[in-house]
Amino acid sequence: MGTDLATAAQVVVSGLLLGGLYALLAGGLTLVFGVMRVINLAHGELLMLGAYVACLLFAATGLNPIVALLVSIPVLFVVGAVTQRFVVNRVVNAPLLTSLLLTYGLSLVVTGTAQAVWTNDYRSVPFITGGFALGEVSISRPRLLAFAVSLVLTGAAHVFLTRTRWGKAMRATAQNADVALACGIDIDRARMLAFGIASALAGAAGTLVSFLYSVYPEMGRAFMLKAFAVIVLGGLGSFPGALIGAMILGVVEAGAAYLSTTQIAEAVIYIMLLAMLLVRPHGLLGTAER
Amino acid sequence: MTGGAEARIPEPLATPLLSVDDVHAGYGRVRVLHGVSAAVEAGQLVGLIGPNGAGKSTILKAITGFARVSAGRIRYDGQDVTGVRADRLVPLGIAYVPQGRLVFAQMTVHENLEMGAFTVRDAGARQEAFSRVYDLFPRLADRRTQLAGTMSGGEQQMVAIGRGLMVRPRLMLLDEPSLGLAPRFVALVFETLQSLKAQGLAMLVVEQNAAQTLAIADRAYLLELGRNRLEGTGADLLANPETRRLYLGD
Ligand SMILES: Nc1ncnc2c1ncn2[C@@H]1O[C@H](COP(=O)(O)OP(=O)(O)OP(=O)(O)O)[C@@H](O)[C@H]1O
Ligand SMILES: [Mg+2]
Repeated sequence: MGTDLATAAQVVVSGLLLGGLYALLAGGLTLVFGVMRVINLAHGELLMLGAYVACLLFAATGLNPIVALLVSIPVLFVVGAVTQRFVVNRVVNAPLLTSLLLTYGLSLVVTGTAQAVWTNDYRSVPFITGGFALGEVSISRPRLLAFAVSLVLTGAAHVFLTRTRWGKAMRATAQNADVALACGIDIDRARMLAFGIASALAGAAGTLVSFLYSVYPEMGRAFMLKAFAVIVLGGLGSFPGALIGAMILGVVEAGAAYLSTTQIAEAVIYIMLLAMLLVRPHGLLGTAER
Repeated sequence: MTGGAEARIPEPLATPLLSVDDVHAGYGRVRVLHGVSAAVEAGQLVGLIGPNGAGKSTILKAITGFARVSAGRIRYDGQDVTGVRADRLVPLGIAYVPQGRLVFAQMTVHENLEMGAFTVRDAGARQEAFSRVYDLFPRLADRRTQLAGTMSGGEQQMVAIGRGLMVRPRLMLLDEPSLGLAPRFVALVFETLQSLKAQGLAMLVVEQNAAQTLAIADRAYLLELGRNRLEGTGADLLANPETRRLYLGD
């Protein structure tokens, strides 16, 4: 009995630690969807770029990946803002399929370029390892660190969106772009900023992933699916929903992995997604579309 | 409207605050306006009436850049503003309140007004704008933390008008402000328009409610199928047998 409880606690703790990272990644995806009704299929590639920033800086200077965040965040912000301004902004009012095709194309180009430049070799950033015990639950130090940083960044993004002038302007643009224009808000700028912030969050997630998992050009794909699962659970366009969805996904994934193999854990996630889409297609906290 | 005001000028001045000159406009390939002209002088309330689909909303959208102008000119305060997007017009003093009581549903009343003041950078001026709007609509002051999407239609229209007033505009474009509202809110909207006019705000008002609009309008235009049909002072149109037959149920 005692050990069952401990096992359950272990699963929940591992899942929540994982969930923090998913929240950071999915927050950006949901922000972009909210502000410009675009599902960015290249979001995972932004994570990959953030991971490479950490790897390359570590290889060149031995830089600690937490410090590398100070580079990956602004670099990915600029990458995202420029991509939005010159590429994605053209499809903002186009049918969803057009933007899906465009961002899927972008993801292929970015992955292919990364393979050409950095090869398909797996890399990693050696950083803190090990863990400690909290009662009967063991906690991994690097995962706890990634979790804490993820929560801080997700919280900072949330505060930005709800408290600052441009943050509110981005939410206004999300809710009604025409009325936002009538308020004097430059909606192109709001959208560029939103995409930049979303990319910066994905880049930060990538930098954190660099010391947890292998880094390679196609790593974004699996994470993209996780982020997608999070927003299906939490509701597209809802930031608090993303946080809750991410935690649920993390715990379910950890539980399924404990009870079975990783492959089956993945399958459990998809079954859960399907069930969610059938039962509550707008997610736990999302609102039904129009 | 008793005495005390300066003598009313019946005809437009040489340079009105806003002038719409022979404007052709539409959406994509669809042409809706086929050469429409109208003018608003400083401090005037100008009515725009006409049947459904006449292109009344499209005139306001042409002015604010939401509809594409293919010919003609729109001038405001001596500047050519043809095709200028709404966000650039706000700093010039033009506020637009679209048809349909549009609010930011997931934001509070206060945040909606705050968005209206997006271009007002001076903290004192913002504060002053909030008190002005809350004085005008005390009901909003009581509900400043309520989500705008959960309010009644009449209350949402107050939020929409209040949001437009936050920039202290010189010209306000209102599209069907009384449409679909309960009678007491309709009365409130017309009272508000009159008090704003008394404060010197120029307004171009699209309305279904022709009789009440003409009664308070300095000038009015009757539009049909994307063209000017009749124009004159509010009183002229109110007395015109054709308007009476078409819109006032005589
Ligand atoms: N976004 C749009 N795309 C294409 N056509 C449009 C669009 N908006 C309006 N129209 C068309 O333009 C014409 C005039 O519309 P408009 O909204 O200006 O009329 P209105 O006089 O305001 O009518 P109402 O009293 O119904 O509001 C209509 O035939 C309408 O179908
Ligand atoms: Mg209309």
